[in-house]
Amino acid sequence: MKFDSYKTDSFYDEMFEADGTVRPHYRNIYARLSELSTEEFFQKREAVDLSFLRQGITFTVYGDEEGTEKIFPFDLVPRIIPNTEWQHISKGLEQRIIALNLFLKDIYHEQKIIKDGIIPAHFIESAKHYRPEFRGVNVPKDIYIHICGTDLIRNDQGEYLVLEDNARSPSGVSYMLENREALKRAFPNFFQQAGVRTNLDYSKHLLKVLQHIAPENHNGPVIAVLTPGVYNSAYFEHCFLARQMGVDIVEGRDLVVRHDKVYMRTTRGLKPVDVLYRRVDDDFLDPKVFRKDSVLGVPGLVEAYRKGNLGLANSIGTGVADDKVIYAFVPRIIKYYLDQDPILSNVETWLPTEGNNLEFILENMNKLVIKAANESGGYGILIGPHASKKEIAQFKEAVQKDPRNYIAQTPISLSRHPTWCDKGFEGRHIDFRPYILYGEKVSIMPGGLTRVALKKGSLVVNSSQGGGSKDTWVLYGDT
Amino acid sequence: MLCRVADSLFWMSRYIERAESAVRLLDVNLQILLETDRTSTSSIESFWKPIIASTGDLGLFKENYDELNSETAMDFLTFSDKNPSSVLSCIKFARENARMIRDQISEDMWEIINRLYLNLKRADHKKIWKSGPHDFYKEIREYSNLFQGVTDSTFLHGDGFDFIKAGMFLERADKTGQILKAKQLMDAEWAEKDETNPLAIAQWVSVLRACSAEEVYQQIYVTDIIPKNVIEFLVLSREFPRSILFSATKLQFHIHAISDCPTTHYSNEAERLCGKLIADLTYSSVNEIFERGLDDLLDHIHRTITKIAIELNNAYMFFPIIDPAQEQKQTTI
Repeated sequence: MKFDSYKTDSFYDEMFEADGTVRPHYRNIYARLSELSTEEFFQKREAVDLSFLRQGITFTVYGDEEGTEKIFPFDLVPRIIPNTEWQHISKGLEQRIIALNLFLKDIYHEQKIIKDGIIPAHFIESAKHYRPEFRGVNVPKDIYIHICGTDLIRNDQGEYLVLEDNARSPSGVSYMLENREALKRAFPNFFQQAGVRTNLDYSKHLLKVLQHIAPENHNGPVIAVLTPGVYNSAYFEHCFLARQMGVDIVEGRDLVVRHDKVYMRTTRGLKPVDVLYRRVDDDFLDPKVFRKDSVLGVPGLVEAYRKGNLGLANSIGTGVADDKVIYAFVPRIIKYYLDQDPILSNVETWLPTEGNNLEFILENMNKLVIKAANESGGYGILIGPHASKKEIAQFKEAVQKDPRNYIAQTPISLSRHPTWCDKGFEGRHIDFRPYILYGEKVSIMPGGLTRVALKKGSLVVNSSQGGGSKDTWVLYGDT
Repeated sequence: MLCRVADSLFWMSRYIERAESAVRLLDVNLQILLETDRTSTSSIESFWKPIIASTGDLGLFKENYDELNSETAMDFLTFSDKNPSSVLSCIKFARENARMIRDQISEDMWEIINRLYLNLKRADHKKIWKSGPHDFYKEIREYSNLFQGVTDSTFLHGDGFDFIKAGMFLERADKTGQILKAKQLMDAEWAEKDETNPLAIAQWVSVLRACSAEEVYQQIYVTDIIPKNVIEFLVLSREFPRSILFSATKLQFHIHAISDCPTTHYSNEAERLCGKLIADLTYSSVNEIFERGLDDLLDHIHRTITKIAIELNNAYMFFPIIDPAQEQKQTTI
């Protein structure tokens, strides 16, 4: 495999410096790939794809009758993070999750941050995922976000920036683990000498977090993963995590609430459940409290939670912390609760509702990225420099109509990574989602999910829109 | 164990057994056809008619195919996604059930079902038909055997195992009955009751083969293929693993293991019906079956088995059905 015709163009390339030298932490893998023939590379690729398919490591594509299950495209070239960089990232993530949890506790109790004038009340109240029903409710150990998937990107200087915090139920961690397995099988001998830190403990740590939030004085709590069901696109992951932890996977219809206590229906009668790792949205959790038409939830579950008879991860109403407008306040949130400067910066962000920003944004639509506050999965985004006049006009109208619901950001030219593309290696834009767990303490698995936009020039890494993934190596050292 | 999990284990296992039975029936009949001199369109049609009637739905077949011949029969019974009893449909349903309980079954069990499904889905129908489907069918049977072996050696032998086995034996008892029923229908179709007629004998051989029983039959009876013996063997044998009585007895063993109730009495309706069926068969002679009429007995067995399945569901597996659309709407970020 040759990198002779590889071009970094003007982007920050993860593997190569601007002058074409290989960065120190990529030298090993560069050498290994260079000695590989194209044929061997293809064989490895095919073997990996086939094993994903056989194991059913697939996601569901909605609205597609025939091929409802697809494998998540996987690129064999790993993304590598040297130790020093990782230390910086993990400190920044720890700071962030602690601050966000303090923020949630505050806004669901005293709301000091509003009273002190840091965040105007209407931003909280108008956040789509704010749950006023939960004000004054104490949650186990005061933890709201137990599992967080924070999306990081790197700019043209290689600086890590936070793109968004996924504080509801971030998915993709099973791909992080399976990608590692796949790469270990593809390069069995190479792995021993590469000095890669293991990420295998994730499920153990997750289990500990869930045990930590069990109702008081409980020995050996019963834990279960609550899934929307087999038709949900992340179903594989729900099963995967349940298996790894050795706990049951349940659907809403498997559960009943009696006297404010949750039970599962078994062939030998009802069995109490103490903690749920739920992958069902707030809205669907309990038809008595939220959406009345929900059949995925459990009537009475919320009351059981309020009474302290159930641990729930993540807690209810955490979505207010990953609201794209609240995101703009996170540096101020960190400063307010921790009196520290953020270790990881945000992407420069303007709120249309602050100062003269609206005017500025409307005038510079073609130079900015505009995002709808409550969309996810890469939808509801305008990338100004690449957008047509028509799209810009549409967004302009939408922003004017509902400025609370939009943010504007400086476009970041995402870092690129050598990725196999039909005829050879080419640079493709990537992002990075590490997974942060918050139980007795904060733990962050060395690694995460690196997503890659496989389409040339594309910045959208989401699997639903032509994204793939890579294994992510965090090294013990810096080379 | 969750009620929903019990249901999925039970049906996963039933569907695999159902697919295997469909394959057995098809394979032997395709082979029988090779050994007969019936080549005219109408005689081939009347050969397949009872088989399709017994396993699937003749009306459904006519809606989807212009002509009934060996190739279309094979296609309908093997690959058609319009036919809920086709081999492909059965494996698809088995896989759907397995997928719902991926966390409960072993990795190996899942991979066997998933691979079988992917192979079937990718299969080139024309090519298989041209090269003769025997090897293809053999492979499917091997997968089914592999699944049972792997289940036995990788899955906890607790309640879940009993639900799997109950599903398998319940389906097997039903399908052995169905194979005999198909032969009854053939007789009606041909109106050739002469037991020395070579085709009639060939059909009885096919019935035995469909149950993998030809060789054992020879060992036990050491005589020509006589309908009475075949029926005695396939309905009343206490030792042959595909006979109806054997399967019902195993079914009883496993459903009583679930309830921990001794087989001397019963704790639910499914156990009562199963015990009654076993007593009925145990104390019947083949002559009595003939007096009663085989047709009547087979219908009775089929109805009883259907009821047992319903009662098992009522006792252990009942849970509400929900709308898949809401499952999809959940954000996956």
